[in-house]
Amino acid sequence: MAFPLSRRTVLRGLPLLVLSGRAMAFGDGARFVPGVAQHGGRWDGRMSGLRRLAWELQRRTSVEVVPEARALQLTSPRLFDHPFLYFGGDGEFPPLAQPEVEALRRYLTFGGFVLADANDGSGGRGFDASFRRELARVLPGAPLEPVPTAHVVFKTFFLLDSAPGRLFLHPQLHAVNLGSRAAVLYSQNDLAGAWERDESGAYAFEVSPGGEPQRELAVRMGINICMYALCLDYKDDAVHLPLILKKRR
Amino acid sequence: MNGPTTTTWRLVSLSPLPVWALGLLTALVVLGVVLAVLGLRREPSGLRRRVLLALRVLAGAMALFFLLEPGLRQLAQVRVKNRVAVLVDRSASMGFPVRPEGQTRAAAAAEALDRFAPGLEALHDRYQVEVLGFSPELAPASAETLRTTGTGNRTDLLAALRALKATDTGGSRKLAGAILLSDGADNADLQAGLQPRQAEELAGLGFPVSTVRVGEPALVDLAVEGVKVDDFAFVRNGVSVELELHARGLKGRDVPVVLQREGVTVGTRTVHLDSEDQRTPISFTFTPDQTGRFVYTVGAPVYPGEAVVENNTRSFVLKVIRDRVRVLLVVGRPSWDERFLRGLLKQDPNVDLVSFYILRTSADDTQTRNPERELSLIPFPMDEIFDTKLHTFDVVVFQNFGYAEPALSISSYERNLESYVAGGGALLVIGGDHAFGEGRAAYPILDRALPVDPSGLPAQVEPFRVRLTPDGLRHPVMRVQTTEPATQSSWDELPPVSGLNLVRVKQGATVLLAHPTLKLDGQPAPVLALWDHGRGRAMALMTDDSWTWAFTARRSGEQNRQYDRFWGNALRWLVRDPDLTSLQITADPPTVEPGHAVGAVVTARKPDYQPASAAEVRVDLYSLADRRVLQTRTAAAGPDGVARVSFDPVPPGAYKLRATARLEGRDLGEADDAVAVRSVGPELADASVRTELLADVARATGGRAYELPLGSLPAVPLLDPPLVEVGRSKDAPLWDRWGWLVALAVLLGAEWFLRRRFGYI
Repeated sequence: MAFPLSRRTVLRGLPLLVLSGRAMAFGDGARFVPGVAQHGGRWDGRMSGLRRLAWELQRRTSVEVVPEARALQLTSPRLFDHPFLYFGGDGEFPPLAQPEVEALRRYLTFGGFVLADANDGSGGRGFDASFRRELARVLPGAPLEPVPTAHVVFKTFFLLDSAPGRLFLHPQLHAVNLGSRAAVLYSQNDLAGAWERDESGAYAFEVSPGGEPQRELAVRMGINICMYALCLDYKDDAVHLPLILKKRR
Repeated sequence: MNGPTTTTWRLVSLSPLPVWALGLLTALVVLGVVLAVLGLRREPSGLRRRVLLALRVLAGAMALFFLLEPGLRQLAQVRVKNRVAVLVDRSASMGFPVRPEGQTRAAAAAEALDRFAPGLEALHDRYQVEVLGFSPELAPASAETLRTTGTGNRTDLLAALRALKATDTGGSRKLAGAILLSDGADNADLQAGLQPRQAEELAGLGFPVSTVRVGEPALVDLAVEGVKVDDFAFVRNGVSVELELHARGLKGRDVPVVLQREGVTVGTRTVHLDSEDQRTPISFTFTPDQTGRFVYTVGAPVYPGEAVVENNTRSFVLKVIRDRVRVLLVVGRPSWDERFLRGLLKQDPNVDLVSFYILRTSADDTQTRNPERELSLIPFPMDEIFDTKLHTFDVVVFQNFGYAEPALSISSYERNLESYVAGGGALLVIGGDHAFGEGRAAYPILDRALPVDPSGLPAQVEPFRVRLTPDGLRHPVMRVQTTEPATQSSWDELPPVSGLNLVRVKQGATVLLAHPTLKLDGQPAPVLALWDHGRGRAMALMTDDSWTWAFTARRSGEQNRQYDRFWGNALRWLVRDPDLTSLQITADPPTVEPGHAVGAVVTARKPDYQPASAAEVRVDLYSLADRRVLQTRTAAAGPDGVARVSFDPVPPGAYKLRATARLEGRDLGEADDAVAVRSVGPELADASVRTELLADVARATGGRAYELPLGSLPAVPLLDPPLVEVGRSKDAPLWDRWGWLVALAVLLGAEWFLRRRFGYI
């Protein structure tokens, strides 16, 4: 199968060329590669958004990424090669199979991180209802809780005070905490929708209600979440706090 | 031995009749008198009545006299000779001079006893005088012995008096009193003065103790006393040392007091002396920056004419331990390798983690207008962490760190870091695309501390399974299971890693993990290597994929804690956790009294950490002053791997013990410990004379307190010896004389005659 060399194809590949120039010849194991969880619903609507997020992470921070998003079955052994897993969807999805539930439980328990994202911006129905139902099966003793703006995820790289996505219907992120670590962060504002590009390289969706500034905030929030997955509560260390508090004043 | 016998007389009844019979007969006599009184009631002549009554009473009395059979008893008595004990202090402090340049206190006491001799002789007719030395055990002392200075290392007045009391078994052993000659420099129960409970005990001795103070209070002496410090301290935490400077006869001087750690000054205090006898509390607070056992010495200068110069310094051993392992984690860029290592270190309560990540380099475009306000980044405080605060960390970890750009390059701190490791610090370098020369930065000076050299070859990117080397199998860092086969199996089952920095192993380094097939210079490419660098340790892990041992390895749900155990072991090895050293030595005790042997216990283990039975252990004792080995001992370790050695007494000072051991030709490493030999024991630490204490002792027992010089034995209070009867008594009857019988007959006859004449019969 041959790919026609068009202006669009070149533009799409440009970021990858930039990244490959920066990456050194070393194993990929320690690099950031977003995994994308496959489930029975519409799980693959934000693949390019995740690639874009990886690209932004590479461009703006010192993190080395593999600029692609890898779709992963929850029962796949390869799931444990990727500690960052995007679990998104548009609309309801059927219940996970028991082996999938158990694999996801192991994944989260042993250190994996899940960014859950309601692509439909739902609350109490659609993806939101399905996700909450499945999460209760995966981690029955650990409820989803609102994430206060004082949480370290709002300062892991950018200083932020809200978590908008393509939408801004729900002011707060939610999290499932395992010990002192947020193992799951959940946005109902379609975060990845703000990062998604179409085939032409343009952003795929309008961002509302804040427009392009809101998109930038969504990108920054995405980077902060990746930084949280990689550095945990590093920015809560005592050496950072005085300076960060001063900046926030 | 008793006094001369004396004789006394006593009036006694010699009647063989029992008391009740005598009582009955006496009652009959009295009845006879009463009847006479009744019978004479109607007698009109008072004269007749009185005469008849007198005759009846006299006759009754005479009858009683015969009934009681009175006699004189002759008694022989003797006065028992009780004991008077003269107790002479034989402790070492009696070797101090009475006054500057004067005779010793012991000689002064001996002279005083010579002068007391006539007085003591005079007591001999009533008392038995014993001269005893105490130090604090009691022992008979001859005049000749008393002229020499005693060697007792303790003055315990109460113990001496208790021991004396124990000899008071009554009779001729009863004590009538004691005379105590001492400087009163008690360093036992009465060190803090006579307390009410002790005064009560002294009062219960039952005999007066008179004290004679030997020595004059006015002397010149400077003493470091009462050093109070804990046996151990935490590294990088403040430690307080409290002591008392006791200065006598040095009024007006400014005295510097210095605290040193094995020759290095830790602190100085200056004390101004306002009086001739001044006790000044002094406190030093310092922060030890290294773990281990160290000899600390507090010292004051020696002034002319001091009674004791040895008490101007006091040494003690302080064991400095770590409360938590303080780890500095410097990360070149966030990665999963960093993420899992951080998670492990943060959850370990024994680790105090300080971390710095490079989240952004100059090549990164954050897309911010005002980075200062929009980013949470802080400047990388290189000066602070690699210079001023570097020594506060137990372990420095560089994880995929090696930037060439000036803002992030550590090239100007390489020398600091290398010195930090050589001086006892620990360095761990974890690989990646910025490490081991893989990035653009090269740190040739820091590389000296590492067990590997960059090869200059490009990194190996093909996934591979690490192979545990034979050295690795035995090494405690790699022991993730309880047995070697299980440990081997655990490492074999790990998921593959991708990415390997190709390095060359230095001479003397130990490779614990290697590439299974890839060779470099004919040797398997090392994955994990370590060594000792100077007094410190360094470890190099040439991959950034060890996180997979924590996460990927658990994909099947096994409760595999191999990653945690490996890094836990690595940290413990880096900070020289005693449990992970093959050879340990402990001074026993860490502080030795002057003149005592120096002991040490050595524990040797094989590389597999089993007891090194029969290991040849060698221990050198060397002085910290000149680093010269003074004595060497060798011993064979027992079945438990333990060997004990003892060194001949050495002069006061600070010493180190260094142990080495070999087993079957293999070196088991070396270990050292500190030991302090005191310049003076507690007995010689204080040359003062305790006048008040001696007076209190005398007062509590009912004795009197005296002070030398005394021309003769003073009139000390003594209990009177008791008298006891000795031999048989002799009775002389008084009643069996014929005259008494005639008198009774005349009285009875006269009454009969007069009664008949007066018409009563």
